[in-house]
Amino acid sequence: MSKLKLSGVSKAYGATLALRRGDLEVMAGEVHVLMGSNGSGKSTLCKIIAGSVRPDDGRILIDDTPVTITGPRSARAQGIGIFYQELSLAAHRTVEENVCLAALPAKARLFVDRATLKERAARYITLFEGVSGEGFSADALVGNLRPDQRQLVEIMKALASEAPLIIFDEPTSALDRAQVERFFEILRDLKRRGRGIIFISHRMDEIKAIGDRVTIIRDGETITTLNLNETDAGTVIRLMVGGAGDMPASQSSAPAAVDAKDGAALTVRNLSGSGFRSVSFEVARGEILGFGGLHGQGQSALLRAIFGAGSIGSGEILIGSDRFDAASPRDAIRRGCAYVSGDRGRDGVISGRPIIENVTPIHYLRDRLMIARPSKLRDKVAPALESMHTKFASLFHPINSLSGGNQQKVIIARWLIDRPDVLLLDDPTKGIDLSAKADLFALIRQLAADGLGIVLYSSEDAELLGNANRILVFNGGSVSRELTGPERTRYNLYQAAYEAA
Amino acid sequence: MSRVTSFLRQPIVVALALIVLLLYLGALLSPGFASGAQILRLLIVASLLGIVAAGQNVVILGGREGIDLSVGGVVSLSAIIAGNVMNGADIGILPAIAACLVAGAFFGLLNGLGITLLRIPPLVMTLGMLGVLQGLLVVIRMGIPSGQAAPALSRFVTQPLFLSVPGIIWLWVAIGILMAFMLNRTVFGHRIYAIGSNEHAAYMAGVPVRLMRIALFMISGMFAAVAGLCLLGYSGSSFANVGEQYTLTSIIAVVFGGTSLAGGKGGYTGTMAGAFLLVILQGILTTVNIDESGRQMVFGATLLLLMMFYGRGRAMRA
Repeated sequence: MSKLKLSGVSKAYGATLALRRGDLEVMAGEVHVLMGSNGSGKSTLCKIIAGSVRPDDGRILIDDTPVTITGPRSARAQGIGIFYQELSLAAHRTVEENVCLAALPAKARLFVDRATLKERAARYITLFEGVSGEGFSADALVGNLRPDQRQLVEIMKALASEAPLIIFDEPTSALDRAQVERFFEILRDLKRRGRGIIFISHRMDEIKAIGDRVTIIRDGETITTLNLNETDAGTVIRLMVGGAGDMPASQSSAPAAVDAKDGAALTVRNLSGSGFRSVSFEVARGEILGFGGLHGQGQSALLRAIFGAGSIGSGEILIGSDRFDAASPRDAIRRGCAYVSGDRGRDGVISGRPIIENVTPIHYLRDRLMIARPSKLRDKVAPALESMHTKFASLFHPINSLSGGNQQKVIIARWLIDRPDVLLLDDPTKGIDLSAKADLFALIRQLAADGLGIVLYSSEDAELLGNANRILVFNGGSVSRELTGPERTRYNLYQAAYEAA
Repeated sequence: MSRVTSFLRQPIVVALALIVLLLYLGALLSPGFASGAQILRLLIVASLLGIVAAGQNVVILGGREGIDLSVGGVVSLSAIIAGNVMNGADIGILPAIAACLVAGAFFGLLNGLGITLLRIPPLVMTLGMLGVLQGLLVVIRMGIPSGQAAPALSRFVTQPLFLSVPGIIWLWVAIGILMAFMLNRTVFGHRIYAIGSNEHAAYMAGVPVRLMRIALFMISGMFAAVAGLCLLGYSGSSFANVGEQYTLTSIIAVVFGGTSLAGGKGGYTGTMAGAFLLVILQGILTTVNIDESGRQMVFGATLLLLMMFYGRGRAMRA
């Protein structure tokens, strides 16, 4: 029996099609896995089912009846529960209150019925008895729990909805093996009771262990649905990658070989910190080293930590042959390290200020300037902006008057007046248009040719394959594989990202 | 056309227009209100407020809910310190200036440290500091007025110095030029705007955010101290809580001048116009026999009105 059926669902944000065509059928009593790379449209699909995004087109059927989901409340009323990947817990409330938060039992329609609440919450809390770890109890404050315990509360909350169809979006990312095992037992029990489960995970072993069928999404389109026991990991990955996945990165766009005799620009030895552990690598002068892997596997945390904006537990960093452990970005900048974030709204743009003031901060610091003379600064700022074909009417217009791509060019231009030795790029092309991307990579290659050591983390595989000499694939905070030369294929990249750990 | 309307919408243009309007209104209510001598007298009072507002201005520009509620207390404390150090003798002026600046910088430093290191919100930190200062004033003076202004200081504040304009107005003009230069042409000024606009981005671009914030509160304390010193010269002797009113009025002057309470937007020229405007308003209220408590109510209401007026733009952006 079909629990949920989506046909021809689509969603566009402005000119970008987030979901071109989504077809999905979830049966009662099955765990249905959704697989797709970053930005393939799977989270848009989930949001449509959960009611937080309204589709532009398509039909949704629940229990073979057409329905319209108008919002999250309506989705819940139709019997859809969701586990949120971004934690949605109230930190100052207890575990039991959080578990029952969606539907607090009430007395006289006004007061919370504590006895019923305790009893109801206890049902879900005991499910994880023995694996929930030290300090976990019904009346513990959620804010005092470890990340894995908070994730358990989130799971309990989703289970407490008792919805006939539950979406689990990466529910196991923080859990240990015993907790995952217990969670899967619970899922199997739900299956026996005829519930439908949509399961998103990037761990191939988990998918094989719990999934019945898998639907693969690529470029906003659901490609196919397969029975998991009739297929293997290679096939699934090949489908996610698409046709040309086995071809090595095209030679025309591959960077020139690096002359290693110039020595290393950046050396990282056994570096551990929050979000990453025992990472070691070396970037030669003139090299572009790629960081690959799924989102949030420690790439950003590592780059920020090198730049002095994160925490480092142990290990060492060298720039050139000098020990480098920046206490702050200020310190890092002074010593020749540059960092460009993809989240320019938070980390880059000084909103409301003129373009020129968005370019000059690094120059001020490195040249120890006190006085800002516009005429002198203009001579330095204008060439930096022009080297990337930045379009602007006047240097004194606010940066907000520019498009996203041009804003990012301005942010990058600030590093070009006084050249750094090492450039860290943290998904720098997020949300910018294609021509801006092309300009940006042309510049990055030029900078490498000039002898900078460059680390490029990108969530877009094509950018990595087309620009990086070597690619380190991250998984769970450490490097799981290094791809060089002809190994640099989309297939290998996916395989390393999904299969390992 | 749109250029004309956007010019007319600029806070400083609005403030200047209101200044002319209020002067005209004052002249109607009491002939001679807009005479040269009277305007000079208003400008002296406005410079006292304007100097306090300069410090308030940089703190607010620095963002993160930056505000300095302790300025009133620092003004009073500075007037008392100055009065006792110089005690009516010109020879004591330089030591008095030094003592006042040190005191202002010290309390600013305490504010800055509390806000950056202990992460106390500026509103709470400076309000607490105001309470401490008020208590301190009572302890120091034990209720007895003490200290006399040096004759030279009084002359500087009240008598014509150059081109028949008193020295304090020249001082204010100099501060205005200095502030404009600092905000527009120095790295320090650009960094104030940077931390006020996007603190995290400024941090990632190497701006020493904490040091900057401490410096801003120290500047605010020092400007308040200078104003306290001049206030002593204006009134001759230091008396109970002379500076009290400056907390509220300095904030109004800054907001009047078009500086956003959210930080990162505005400048000092507008604040100068705002300070003058407030003083004229105060003069008119006095002319029509509204007492101090009534004036405070009008000022409070003015601030709330301004927030409604200027707050709209921000709400639309969010």
